[in-house]
Amino acid sequence: MIRTIGLGAVEIARAMWITLIHLLRRPVTNQYPNEPVAVYPRFRGRHVLKRYDNGLERCIGCALCAAACPTDCILVIAGENTPEARYSPGERYGEVYEINLLRCIFCGYCAEACPTEAIVLEYDFALSVYDRWDAIITREQLLQPHTPPHIVLRDDTTLEPNWGQWGGVARPAGKAEGQASG
Amino acid sequence: MDVTLTIDNREVTVPAGTLIVEAARRIGIEIPVFCYHPKMLPVGMCRMCLVTVGLPVVNRETGRPEVDAAGQRVIRWLPKPVTACTEPVSEGMVVITDSAQVAADRKGILEFLLTSHPLDCPICDKGGECPLQDLTYRHSPGVSRFDIASKYHAAKAYPLGDLIVLDRERCILCARCTRFQQEIADDPVLAIENRGRDAMIVSYSEPAFNSHYSGNTTDICPVGALTTRDFRFHARPWELEHTASVCNHCGVGCNIVLDTRLGRIVRVMPRQNELVNEVWICDKGRFAHHFHASSQRLTVPLMRQGGRMVEVSWDEALQHVATRLRAICEQHGAEAIGGIAGARLPNEDLYLFQKLLRQVIGTPNVDYRVGLSAGFEDDIVAEVGVACGTDLGRVGCGTAILVLGSDLDEEAPILYLRVAGAARHGATLINAGGRATKLDQRATHVLRYRYGSATHLVLGLLHVVLHETNEQGRALTGNEIVPGRVRGLAELRAHVSEWTPERVATISGVPAEAIRAAAHAFAAAQNGIIIYGGEAGNHPALRRAIANLAIVTGFVGRPNNGVIAVLAHANSRGAEDLGIVPHRLPGYAPAERHGLNATEMVQGGVRALLVAGADPFAISARQVNLEFLVVQELFMSATAQQADVVLPAVAPGERSGSYTNLERRVQYFHPALLPPGMARPDWSILRHLAVLLGAGGWDYATPAAVFEEMARTIPLYANMSYERLTQPVEISRHMAHYIYAGMSYQSEAYEGLQWPTLAEQAMHTFVLEWQAPPPDPPTRGVVLVAPRVLYDGGTLLGQTQLLASHVVTSHVAVSPQDAAVWGLADGQRVRVAVCAREIALPCRVNPALPTGVIAIPRNLANNVAEMLLGEGQLFSPAGLIVEKQQGS
Ligand code: SF4
Ligand code: SF4
Ligand code: SF4
Ligand code: SF4
Ligand code: FES
Repeated sequence: MIRTIGLGAVEIARAMWITLIHLLRRPVTNQYPNEPVAVYPRFRGRHVLKRYDNGLERCIGCALCAAACPTDCILVIAGENTPEARYSPGERYGEVYEINLLRCIFCGYCAEACPTEAIVLEYDFALSVYDRWDAIITREQLLQPHTPPHIVLRDDTTLEPNWGQWGGVARPAGKAEGQASG
Repeated sequence: MDVTLTIDNREVTVPAGTLIVEAARRIGIEIPVFCYHPKMLPVGMCRMCLVTVGLPVVNRETGRPEVDAAGQRVIRWLPKPVTACTEPVSEGMVVITDSAQVAADRKGILEFLLTSHPLDCPICDKGGECPLQDLTYRHSPGVSRFDIASKYHAAKAYPLGDLIVLDRERCILCARCTRFQQEIADDPVLAIENRGRDAMIVSYSEPAFNSHYSGNTTDICPVGALTTRDFRFHARPWELEHTASVCNHCGVGCNIVLDTRLGRIVRVMPRQNELVNEVWICDKGRFAHHFHASSQRLTVPLMRQGGRMVEVSWDEALQHVATRLRAICEQHGAEAIGGIAGARLPNEDLYLFQKLLRQVIGTPNVDYRVGLSAGFEDDIVAEVGVACGTDLGRVGCGTAILVLGSDLDEEAPILYLRVAGAARHGATLINAGGRATKLDQRATHVLRYRYGSATHLVLGLLHVVLHETNEQGRALTGNEIVPGRVRGLAELRAHVSEWTPERVATISGVPAEAIRAAAHAFAAAQNGIIIYGGEAGNHPALRRAIANLAIVTGFVGRPNNGVIAVLAHANSRGAEDLGIVPHRLPGYAPAERHGLNATEMVQGGVRALLVAGADPFAISARQVNLEFLVVQELFMSATAQQADVVLPAVAPGERSGSYTNLERRVQYFHPALLPPGMARPDWSILRHLAVLLGAGGWDYATPAAVFEEMARTIPLYANMSYERLTQPVEISRHMAHYIYAGMSYQSEAYEGLQWPTLAEQAMHTFVLEWQAPPPDPPTRGVVLVAPRVLYDGGTLLGQTQLLASHVVTSHVAVSPQDAAVWGLADGQRVRVAVCAREIALPCRVNPALPTGVIAIPRNLANNVAEMLLGEGQLFSPAGLIVEKQQGS
């Protein structure tokens, strides 16, 4: 009997010990939205359209993302660059670019299909809107650098991955950075 | 003679002369090609089609194939691979297309082609339907051994004319484009310049790439080197919806595919119909689709209230029309009402239009011929038209084609390609016209008659046929027809006896020997086709003489024989067939009561006028005694502006229906778009109107129901229905996709149906009537002619910005001789006066015109020719004054 009580006390002490230890640890609960959420670098959230370092858009309006998209939620209408109005290197750019986030399943196929790494699934996951039309995000919105305050990348990476390189693929000769198509 | 050969261990028997690629395709073996195209001569430029070929060894003594010990034929393999696109088959030939060697050859060729190819498929309009892409996926090594840094670069987005864009990097120098322009289009404006790596496609014509057929090169270019300005970057091919349609810009009735994206037409592609347009369309058909999406389209019914046009509901507008028509009918009788329908309306609408006027309202005043086409008609084709089964694409040696008074390149471009193609394949081509036209270069006989003497010329030909014999002493008349089924031959022979070539020569200016030679050549052929157009004058005696010529030569009632009238609009043939003329009912039945024609109606013959898809008031103001004018239109035309009620109609791409082409082929087209606003199809407007006017039985729900009634009541359409019109073509008539890559074959192909002529009925008796020709044209002085041009100033064409620079501006064309006499140079202003009307226009010296002829194209933006010539005349009579304007 005494032995049983003793054992019980030990177990309780152990449990309390764990509790005590966790009282001292940093909590995993995130006080969202008061505190930002840390996401992994390969998290697939809201899309962004990237630019080259010189400011030109990467998107060439090829609609391969739209073709790859399993939910058919991307609309691309291409336009032609002119010397007066140049948006991207080469001849063609995405004049209209819309993604219907209500339909998107964040599979990332669009990013995978993109030949210029223009469309990228980034980190924003807070995508609720008051009007369902607002769930269709446009090229203008997508081209804005999108770093909402409620997101941080985990310490071991930076928020901005190094997209500027031609990851291991030789670039066509005689072409400046980013002239993949021209 | 047939030849049997073995391809990949399978035997195939094909006619001698067949190329290996074609023989292989017959048994479903696809040999990849780039430069080969079955419509053009092979050149062997790309080497993609390399195969291994062996020939049987023949014993020289016995002349028989040698066999080895095992009893197998001994094959001598050719030491090098052979291009299957240039090599004709031979007896006992053995072809291997699936060996490791052939695969290695293909790999090598593709690797080589790609050394100078940018591989910018993501931004290439061809990407997705590109033979180079497809064949690279199928046959290439996948990686290149060449250094990407040393890749060849050249000009991109190089404008080849204002319609076509060339990407020099992408060109693989297959020469399909240059060969098309040279062999098929007869506009050799493209060439390959330089050699080796520097070789490139150039155009030195002025303006660059000056051809009515340029768009076709973008279809046959096996890569994205040639693309159209119109489609450029508008969609990726897989995003398009394809709808089978029929071109509505001229009477050829080319089969097209309307490619739509997001509810707009983004490109028009040819749809293969070997009996109509093969795989080609002209640039007008390809680019002039923009009227569909024009912001100026009428979308709401408009009614004149207090001098202003106000938008009203359909009910209100139609009620008003019905009330007014009823009132006018009661007050002045039904004959005070008339109707003018445009020959662009489909058959169903035309049928209901005349039915509404004739049966519901009860007036005989129906016409479709306005402006300079007034009085122009064709009534002989119902008897002697080209017989069913005619295929101009397959005629050649043994066929004679007489083109009379028509500039096919401008009036019916794809018919030009087919006639020129027949001549290329050995047909006798007689081009008779008042001026030099492009067809002259293909013609075996050119007869240049004085304007106004076309009838005399045909009588001269008739004289030779009826009064002369060939070298063997045989009569020139056609044996099959003449004895049994013809009446009036002796009388006709007597009548034409005075029209000797010598006499005709003095009237027409064509040398007697040329007339004789042409008549002999024409009559000597086994098959004969007569194509006549508006510049011949359209006198009743001319039509009679043409019919007589076709009958006495026996060129009627058999396939590839007969007459084709080159009428102006997409459905002029249908308008003739459906009796949209005041003196004929549908199906060429004569009308008991002749009504007023369009000119009489417009000049005040009626009090109320219904106009559907026509612009009869383009040059004249509305007459005061016209109390009520209703217009069904796409645009606010000059006539619509003067109307009391304007009803918005839908464009062809937004509805279904059928057109009848020049060869009487009835062709169905599908809707591709939604109509704008409240616009309704013309047949539906007419139906509602008829119901409001108290007609019974007008319960057609679709054009199909209207067509069904036409088929029931009009013998011409007796065995037609939409099902039969849209029956798919047998697969053997298709060309395989890989050769035509770049074309949309997702749309089913149909060939349509021709209605049979009287001549095809075995019991039909031909009556050779005689009609005296019009008076001789003056041999001196100047005549004014108003030829048709492809890029005219029509409302529909005007909506296409891309073609704006191609549209002909008003000018007067003068021959160099006359220009010298009058002291004129290009651009100087000339005063032209006919009777009391006069106008000053810039002059263009045109060497195609003979002395004494000036030309002002018809149907230009400001209707100058119509203004000068009044209505219904082709050439001016005396009273024409031409002079250099003072001070210019
Ligand atoms: S993530 Fe997937 S579903 Fe979303 S847009 Fe991209 S491809 Fe489409
Ligand atoms: S985002 Fe990428 S795949 Fe999509 S259209 Fe632009 S370039 Fe093409
Ligand atoms: S432009 Fe096209 S069709 Fe012409 S040669 Fe080059 S690849 Fe061939
Ligand atoms: S030839 Fe006539 S029918 Fe054919 S595409 Fe040209 S305009 Fe249209
Ligand atoms: S060489 Fe045969 S297809 Fe080009």
